[in-house]
Amino acid sequence: MNVRRTRQAALVACFLTPSLLIFLLYRILPLAWNVVLSFQAWSPLHPPTWVGWDNYDEMLNDDDVFWQALWNTLIFMGSQAIGAALALGIALLVNSDLKGASVYRTIVFLSYPLMTVAVAIIWRWMYNERGGLIDYVLRQLGIIHQPIAFLDSFSWALGSTIVANTWQVLGFFMIVLLTGLQNIPPHLYEAARVDGAPGWARFLRITLPMLRPSLFLCAVIGILNSFAAFDLVYVMTNGGPGHATELLITYIYKQAFGETRFDYAAALTVAQFMLLMALAWLAHRAAGGNAGAIE
Amino acid sequence: MTRRETTLLGVRHAVLVMISLVMLTPFYWVLKTSLTGENIYAYPPSLLPVRPHLFNYVDVWYLIPFPRYLLNSVIVSAIAVSGNVVLNAIAGYALTLPFPGRRAMIVLLLSCTLIPFQATIIPAYLITAHLGLLNSYLGLALPLMSTIVCIFIFKASFEAVPRSLIDAARIDGLGDVRILLRVLLPLSTSAIATNVVLAFIWSWNNFLWPLIITRDADMQTLPLGLARFLSYMEDTTGALYAFVVMVLAPGLLVFLMAQSSFMRGLTAGATKG
Repeated sequence: MNVRRTRQAALVACFLTPSLLIFLLYRILPLAWNVVLSFQAWSPLHPPTWVGWDNYDEMLNDDDVFWQALWNTLIFMGSQAIGAALALGIALLVNSDLKGASVYRTIVFLSYPLMTVAVAIIWRWMYNERGGLIDYVLRQLGIIHQPIAFLDSFSWALGSTIVANTWQVLGFFMIVLLTGLQNIPPHLYEAARVDGAPGWARFLRITLPMLRPSLFLCAVIGILNSFAAFDLVYVMTNGGPGHATELLITYIYKQAFGETRFDYAAALTVAQFMLLMALAWLAHRAAGGNAGAIE
Repeated sequence: MTRRETTLLGVRHAVLVMISLVMLTPFYWVLKTSLTGENIYAYPPSLLPVRPHLFNYVDVWYLIPFPRYLLNSVIVSAIAVSGNVVLNAIAGYALTLPFPGRRAMIVLLLSCTLIPFQATIIPAYLITAHLGLLNSYLGLALPLMSTIVCIFIFKASFEAVPRSLIDAARIDGLGDVRILLRVLLPLSTSAIATNVVLAFIWSWNNFLWPLIITRDADMQTLPLGLARFLSYMEDTTGALYAFVVMVLAPGLLVFLMAQSSFMRGLTAGATKG
């Protein structure tokens, strides 16, 4: 028995090691190294030296672009709530035994697995002031009289990237919420109907509370999306015009691989990661404290 | 059905058809542009392709090294997908066995899912440089070769296999490796399919990582090729949109063929976390 147990322990170790090594190299170690780098002055040819809080000091006190990027990132995260609300509406419509529900579901989901670079190019074209559909429709409807170059406009560019992002992630939110809806036991609704509760009361008292774990998941995915939006923003506007669509992640990329300031970009990364953790924790609390529990 | 219910049903369908149209419009617009034979900048833009032909699709082959990008994407995806299925299956199996520290291991893996890859790019670049893997296929695929979500999909699938079947195999003298290969994996085809589709889509669409670690035009994958083409030509040619269609078509086909298991897999992994 003991021999078997030792052999099994060895097997477990062998089977887990390759995956763990990858996560160690590309998740855990980088996270720690970011923190170290953020307290250093780093350059490609010299050994790094310690500079204490200098990078953070520059970030918080001397860098207007950081604050703009932070603000844009928060707006981008906030907009995910609109996406989730729309997705909830669609999920309620396609839930139940509606004929053709699976066709609608597939269509709404279709944009999610697409290559984001291609999505960005599609939307650049949609927003184009001559060949694009959006300007054309708005002009036909008489809503605008002059073409608007949405992506070159300081007031419209961020909103335009948010629309493109919502188009892509809507389907994923819908699927998450649909799974949540299907896990609500039907007898709760039966009981409410017997008690004579109207539709909106059933929604507020049963559907929303029972959806809390799914809504928490949507919140976490939305927060993570502010990192993942790099591809979209990089190709659609590259953070421009000026820094009107600069997100923290695009700014991190520019500082690291454009300016070769790995140390400063590491400090920015640490700041964004702390923000992410803080918001995820808040969402966790708002969802009732045990939404992320294991099993 | 009462009259009120019929009206409600009609309204529901009408709303859903409108939403579907809005969601499909960008697809149509790019397809239309890629087929337009005339100046794509003509205003007002026509809603149907003017003098449709496939010139733009032919142009793609002349304007950029499309086969090279395609080959690079296929190689990187093949490495990432095969690595994923093998490593995730064995790790998922290990997690079904009792061992000291199992719970701590699960917590560790689940907390790793909260570290977005984008937050690790700077050290990940330095690590890859130390390993000498910059600008190589293995370097491109390595961070994608195991995924935590898919480890848990395998774990759940293995745990669904009846205990008695595994015990019977053990009594017959099968070791752990053979139990995994002969008993568990043949019963987990849907987990395997989900992992293949997810890993393919993730590596096929990956942009930031190749952007950072490839140096030569020869090593660029399709998303990089697209971004490069855009930076050369801006939005001036229909060939760009033909390129977009050619890049999206394989992913869309894979998705439509595997959509049910894909959606199920995504939510299974997601709601378990």
